[in-house]
Amino acid sequence: MSPITLAVVATLAPAATALLLLVLFPLRHRGMPAAWVTLLGSAISLAASCKLLVDRIGGAADERAVVPWIEERGRAMAEIGVQLDGVSLPMLVIVGVVALCVQLFSVAYMHDEPPRAFGRYFTLHALFLFSMNVVVVAPNLLQLFAGWELVGLTSYLLIGFYFAKPSAAQAAVKAFWMTKLADMGFLFGLLVLYVNTGSFEWTAPTSTVVATWVSALLFVAVVGKSAQFPLHIWLPDAMEGPTPVSALLHAATMVAAGVFLVVRADPLFAQAPATREVMLWIGAVTAVFAAGLALVQRDIKKVLAFSTCSQLGYMVAALGAGNAFAGFFHLGTHAFFKALLFLAAGSVIHAVHSNDLGDMGGLRKRLPITTAAFVIGALSLAGVPGFAGFFSKDLVLTALEGRGGGAPWVMLLAAAFLTAFYMGRVLIKAFWGELSQKAEHAHEGGLSMTGPLVVLMIPSFASGFLGGWLAGQVKAEYHLHLGLTPVLASVMAVAGLVAAVVVFGRGGQAPGARILEKLDAWSLVDRTWATAYRLGLLGVASIAGWIDRYVIDGLMNLTGWSAIEGGASARRLQTGLVRDYALLVVVGVVVLALMGVLR
Amino acid sequence: MNELYESRILNLVIWSPMLFALLVAFLPKGEKGQIRTATFVGMLVNLWACAWAWSRFELHNADEFQLEYRMRWIDAAGISYHVGVDGLAIALVLLTGVLAPLVVLASWTYVDERVKEFHIALLVLQTAMLGALCSVDTLLFYVFFEAMLIPMYLLIGVWGAEERQMAAMKFFLYTLVGSLLMLVALLGVYFIAAPAGQRSFDYATLYNGLMAANRELSACLANNPTGPCEGLSGPAQALFTWGPWMFLAFSLAFAIKVPMWPVHTWLPDAHVQAPVAGSMVLAGVMLKMGTFGFWRFAIPLFPTAARQYQHLLALLAVIGIVYGAFMCLAQRDIKKLIAYSSVSHLGYCMLGMLAFTAEGATGSAYQMLNHGVSTGALFMLFGFLYERRHARLMSDYGGIAKVMPVFTAFFVIVTFSSIAVPGTNGFVGEFLVLLGSFKSNLPLAYSVAATTCVVFGAAYMLWMVQKVFFGKLVHQDNLGLSDLNRRETLAALPFIALIVLMGLKPQPILDVLETSTTRYLARAGYGTPDSNDDAVRVKVQPLPRPALVELAPGAPVGLEPVGQVANAQPQPRILRPRTPVPSAVQPIHPVMP
Repeated sequence: MSPITLAVVATLAPAATALLLLVLFPLRHRGMPAAWVTLLGSAISLAASCKLLVDRIGGAADERAVVPWIEERGRAMAEIGVQLDGVSLPMLVIVGVVALCVQLFSVAYMHDEPPRAFGRYFTLHALFLFSMNVVVVAPNLLQLFAGWELVGLTSYLLIGFYFAKPSAAQAAVKAFWMTKLADMGFLFGLLVLYVNTGSFEWTAPTSTVVATWVSALLFVAVVGKSAQFPLHIWLPDAMEGPTPVSALLHAATMVAAGVFLVVRADPLFAQAPATREVMLWIGAVTAVFAAGLALVQRDIKKVLAFSTCSQLGYMVAALGAGNAFAGFFHLGTHAFFKALLFLAAGSVIHAVHSNDLGDMGGLRKRLPITTAAFVIGALSLAGVPGFAGFFSKDLVLTALEGRGGGAPWVMLLAAAFLTAFYMGRVLIKAFWGELSQKAEHAHEGGLSMTGPLVVLMIPSFASGFLGGWLAGQVKAEYHLHLGLTPVLASVMAVAGLVAAVVVFGRGGQAPGARILEKLDAWSLVDRTWATAYRLGLLGVASIAGWIDRYVIDGLMNLTGWSAIEGGASARRLQTGLVRDYALLVVVGVVVLALMGVLR
Repeated sequence: MNELYESRILNLVIWSPMLFALLVAFLPKGEKGQIRTATFVGMLVNLWACAWAWSRFELHNADEFQLEYRMRWIDAAGISYHVGVDGLAIALVLLTGVLAPLVVLASWTYVDERVKEFHIALLVLQTAMLGALCSVDTLLFYVFFEAMLIPMYLLIGVWGAEERQMAAMKFFLYTLVGSLLMLVALLGVYFIAAPAGQRSFDYATLYNGLMAANRELSACLANNPTGPCEGLSGPAQALFTWGPWMFLAFSLAFAIKVPMWPVHTWLPDAHVQAPVAGSMVLAGVMLKMGTFGFWRFAIPLFPTAARQYQHLLALLAVIGIVYGAFMCLAQRDIKKLIAYSSVSHLGYCMLGMLAFTAEGATGSAYQMLNHGVSTGALFMLFGFLYERRHARLMSDYGGIAKVMPVFTAFFVIVTFSSIAVPGTNGFVGEFLVLLGSFKSNLPLAYSVAATTCVVFGAAYMLWMVQKVFFGKLVHQDNLGLSDLNRRETLAALPFIALIVLMGLKPQPILDVLETSTTRYLARAGYGTPDSNDDAVRVKVQPLPRPALVELAPGAPVGLEPVGQVANAQPQPRILRPRTPVPSAVQPIHPVMP
């Protein structure tokens, strides 16, 4: 098969699955068969992606194929297709591997759901994988946007999977609105790009002004999708969805689509230093801010959610520093270890039936594989030397050296310390210490739960060594060197873990946790948005409603009323008396005569 | 032989529902099942006719109107029965044809009183709507346009909800005021476009007749934007004085129908009170008569005035978009919310049309179809819910996804179409409209406001979905709600299919629409020195000679009834040297005021 056919298969296999499950609803309603069909579709997709990647390692060239989607007077104004290069192929495989692991994990995790809901869950997974692949292989920004919106849609449906739970329904709508609000930036960016260049290509030659506008507008969408400050508030709420969903969408792949977009549209962003400056700061602020909040969460999933925000902040900062490769590399390693962490957390939640860290404790005695998985994920996330996260984080930090007066670099180093510190906290609280009451009867899930954990452990540890190869794929420079930054980063990671042992090992509390807890409970950003929504949108809406009812409709009714009343008064002229009519005739003649004279 | 059939397809399209109305009229009152079935079959036959017409529409035909059929009607006043379709009209005809059987299915059990009258009204309405879309003769258009009012008035007034009388009256008066003004303006055009003796209401006569005057006028206004223009010829002078007024009269009539802000207030009332069939037809087809009217009449006939008022009308469209969205956020009544979302969506339609760019016009035309599909579907689905529960407020529902999963799935998909998610039809139309308005000469703020409202659309629709479908089942009454039955599912499925198909593969429809957008744009921009007469001129379809002449070509002239022959050849004024009238009969001109 030609590379293009393979790419189309990789993209459309999950779509075919979703369509099949939608149309053949008895299959979907049965539950388990739906899961197998979905897994089959994902496996085919992954196999095709792997074949493409292997071919590429064997020396295959970049490929691109497009077909017109909307034509105008014979000219294709919008195209769809696939683009296979050093960015899309590794991403395709990353998405495929994580998706397949998560789906397999879900078979056991969602086992207690009624068959219909189970079937719906897998149908949505298939739809998500399709949408994500549309983003990954997109040859232009329009297709990327289409996939981008579709992943937002499946995210909405999956967060709201437990729709009968009001908090889940609310979280789903909130996630959709926040990202949609940001997506307006994408829409505007597309429009500006098209009006100025007549195409949706990220390689279209533009002036600096246009590139700055377009990239800034696109970045607004990135802030929403990749949960950057101040649009990050939807991500912690999105944890209302099933845990495997959080692992796939809200940690490994969908939220990283924002970073992916910037990596893709690098030619545009490269022309816009102003946008990059903003990205640098927003990324750095998010990385520290979210890491601080992760420290005080009681819900294990929320710790990981804030951690995701923070790590995405690293990527965005790297992109802002102009090193797209560093961001992309961190995206890849993060996808593996964060998916691993989330699935391990899912395994814990499955075992103790609670998200609360207070209900956990001493789990390593009951859940050895899960503990191993969580430890590897945590060490990788913390950036302990040798683990995958170390290499990519080091690259990000190196890219930041000397940028923005050095402050972002310092901030990210502080965030690195915090990362190790909060992961140490979770490890100690959940897996070490006394066995908690709820953990008494905990046991590992079946093979379909532990299997994906084991599989994901490998890249979570080892994918860092692929940096040089990946750099070669995207023609970036990459060389490990022993400088100040790697040493400092390692020290931060180890120091964070040691500090966690010292502080939390004895059941203590982090210094300053009080303030952070207050900050978290106060949720200033959340409230600002809520107020803006209430005053700005609903307030104006109710005023508009009042105006419509009483002013505009009132005026229209007044017109009707005056016609009736006018008619009624005019009726009085029709007296039926000849002398009245004669008088009117005379008056009329006089008026006409006067008009004639005066003219 | 083929020719004989093809020239009469449109007659079949227009009159087949009427034939079935006759059939239904002869059915006994009590046989509700028979009446419904006969109507459903009638609508299916009509759909088949519409699909046939669609399949016969040629993309690469240079003629504007295809499948033309012209017949003598009132020769003395220059009125003929002249039907034909251009790209936009055939698309709307197909939409009308597709919606009709679904409307009947949707009201199968909804209406149980005066069933016979109800279905006759539906069939007559169908004929009137298709007639208006297919008319090439403007007076014929006017007749059909007015004829739509009566069945719709009855649908709302007889089978509506509690305050149906008020809503029906409001609807009737609003539209009637507009269309009477339009009639006056139409008469004005009739007198200006051609000299006495050659007058006709045929679109070709009116359009071609105004071409010279439009060119003269816009040349003058280009040098001297505020007038006064010296030395204009008679028609141009008349157009200078009365053109803006006539344009505004046409615009008002169509703006009420669209409806544009601020003459939209009849719409929420009409929709809220109308039965499911009324809402579906109203949203699905009738509102498009407004946009179609702008496209076919108001803007092409008065390009100079249209360009003069372009910004004002576009501003009203944008206000409609923003205002409709905010109104939706303020609603508690679901039907009202859908009605206001129509105001917002049709604002996009108008904005695209008034952008006078290729993307905008195509998007606008596509958006007309989209709105018919998605809002029609929303009203139908809500109708199913209303039939079960007889409640319209969001607070009456909540959590019904639990008891009605299939219904929820359909509603959510249609919602996605309505908020223009890529992959659904809504995205294609809205995106093209926004592209067009960004590329146009309209102020940037208009486009920015319109684009911003895309997110408000998501806000109000999802807000409603969340309140109605998700969360806990709080009302006892909702516990026993049954999911969609087979008939209802069957009625909903075509909508879903259309939403997805039109979203993924828009090109076949866009190709058909493009034949008409090119002309529309040329006409909207007509009058500038470089505009090409041949691109805009309407091809004249000669009036068939009286039957007697056809039968006996060599017969002496005296055989023809004198009164009928007079003014038999409504010859349009063409700018080239006049060719002699190719008629054996010397026209005798009646005296025209």
